[in-house]
Amino acid sequence: MFFQYLKRGLTAGLVAGLAFGVFMAFVGNPFVVYTDELAHGGGHAAETGGDGHDADAEAAAGEHHEASDTHEAGETGHEEPAVSMAVTKLVSVATSGFWGLLFGAVFFGGAFYFLEPAIPGTADTKSYLLAAAGFVTVSGAPWLALPPVAPGMDQALPTQTRLYIYGGMMVAGLAACLLSGLTYNQLNAEHGRIVGLVGAAVPLALLPVVAMVTPANPVTGTVPADLVAAFQGFVVFGQLVLWFVLASAHAWLQRRADDDSPDVETGLPDTDSVTA
Amino acid sequence: MHANETVHDRIDNATTSLTPTQMALGLGLVAIAAFTMVFVQEPMMHDAMHNFRHAAGVTCH
Repeated sequence: MFFQYLKRGLTAGLVAGLAFGVFMAFVGNPFVVYTDELAHGGGHAAETGGDGHDADAEAAAGEHHEASDTHEAGETGHEEPAVSMAVTKLVSVATSGFWGLLFGAVFFGGAFYFLEPAIPGTADTKSYLLAAAGFVTVSGAPWLALPPVAPGMDQALPTQTRLYIYGGMMVAGLAACLLSGLTYNQLNAEHGRIVGLVGAAVPLALLPVVAMVTPANPVTGTVPADLVAAFQGFVVFGQLVLWFVLASAHAWLQRRADDDSPDVETGLPDTDSVTA
Repeated sequence: MHANETVHDRIDNATTSLTPTQMALGLGLVAIAAFTMVFVQEPMMHDAMHNFRHAAGVTCH
């Protein structure tokens, strides 16, 4: 039985990963490269063309280096990427695919199997609730402390510190989601649905408070504010769609599996759960 | 899914149907993949995934 769940999770992850990979190839890569180029007339983009931009790139790079030296990853800077642009694009598309596959495996292949009895709602709702929890854990909660940053912008906090904050907020997000679910189940059973929903909102509402106690990370750079906003919108949209596709694919696979097993009606255990 | 099942049943079910090797292998693979995508700062790895990291909103250099 576990392996059937894992298989459905991986399949849903594959679908979402393909979708996000295509999104990365046709929207993500061009958008990041464009913004990077605009920010310092070169950067990663200098690798591809380079020609007319070189002088500008060098001038900007000189200025830029002082800022990035304070970073832990200063030596990788913005101006001298360790790999060519073509490799970055290709690896980024591939990683996007794995990003979807990973969530499919972890959240829908693994966590869903264990948590299914406890997730509120019926059938499809469970898939969408889990996806919402996944989004909050992986992206939503960390973004409260460290909103998506447009390429080419400089951040005040060193990379290492930001990774700790990001990881810490992921843990906080996961805890809030689990607590929210538990609270709902408890209150719903005793006081009904409305009280349950209000109670479930409390742990989630505490996340912005947690984010407020993390160190501030002022972002500076030459990217126009409108473009920064557009980039952030693009990032949030991308992740929301990724989780939506994941949940939809998973809900569909679950429905199809349920239709195939008549045991659900009789309430008898599946033959595979006996052997498994 | 069976209405009377609990999370505890699922855990019992998994621990009896999976071997320790399978569990370790699965958890290990997931940990490696997640760590690589989110936390590895080695220049070559990091730069190759640069566009992805920005597009996914993962904190970057």
